[in-house]
Amino acid sequence: MTDGNSGELNAREKRPLDMGGAESTSGEPRFSPAVDIWESEEGLTVVADMPGVPPEGLNVDLKDNVLTIFGRVAEGAKGRKALLSEFEVGDYYRQFALSESIDQERITASIKDGVLTVALPKQAPSQPRKISVVVE
Amino acid sequence: MALFKWRGPALGGPLWELERMRNYMENVYSTLASGVSQFRRNYTGVFPLVNLTEDDDNLYLTAELPGVDPAALELTIKNDTVTVKGVRKTGPAAEGANYHRRERDAGSFSRSVNLPVKVGSDAASAGFKNGVLTVILPKVAEARAHQINITT
Repeated sequence: MTDGNSGELNAREKRPLDMGGAESTSGEPRFSPAVDIWESEEGLTVVADMPGVPPEGLNVDLKDNVLTIFGRVAEGAKGRKALLSEFEVGDYYRQFALSESIDQERITASIKDGVLTVALPKQAPSQPRKISVVVE
Repeated sequence: MALFKWRGPALGGPLWELERMRNYMENVYSTLASGVSQFRRNYTGVFPLVNLTEDDDNLYLTAELPGVDPAALELTIKNDTVTVKGVRKTGPAAEGANYHRRERDAGSFSRSVNLPVKVGSDAASAGFKNGVLTVILPKVAEARAHQINITT
């Protein structure tokens, strides 16, 4: 695997949200944002690409160990004539089931330049239990 | 849309299986071409994907560049061609972090777009907000629509 920070970027189309056959009532497209999730000693970090979402359009929620991220895009180029349309604009929605025991009180979320970062600190680490082996 | 021409071989003949495969591929192709939205038609596959819109006075070029440092973004206009260059970096903030998922790409990019009308590059302006680049390109006077009064 490459280090992820070199080489040419390839264009990727946004992934439409899989709603299990259900249709959205608004008719607007919705997307499942691309994410990176990594784990460190302190906790989990979820990073999601949500271009066009202002801080006030962001909704992050953890309930029953399910993390939900939702971003509403700001109003765009309504009413202008399209000459070239390579990407669609729509809201973002994605859910993750968390297996780690997360300290719900200390979750923080921030968005900068269309990238959402959610920090999910782990609960106080359980002490590793040492089992002594008795040599017979 | 026909991929290539073929006169149908006799049913059960030696070329029958080939014909069946060809029909299958044709189906796959037409599903891809029609089932997906109109957006695929203009798809160039070069990052970043851009949208170009216009009103009476300006062209508006927008591109989604989440996580790109706007200070490192290079935007040039030359001969009615707009070029966007930059680098997108991802990567963990913490040392020794283990990835559970890695879907976000990083790398350098350079994209040029030919504009359909003449613009005044001196009066062009650009903004970067919420990870979306918007370039406003004023049309030159000759490229704007003029209302012509009809005398009767």
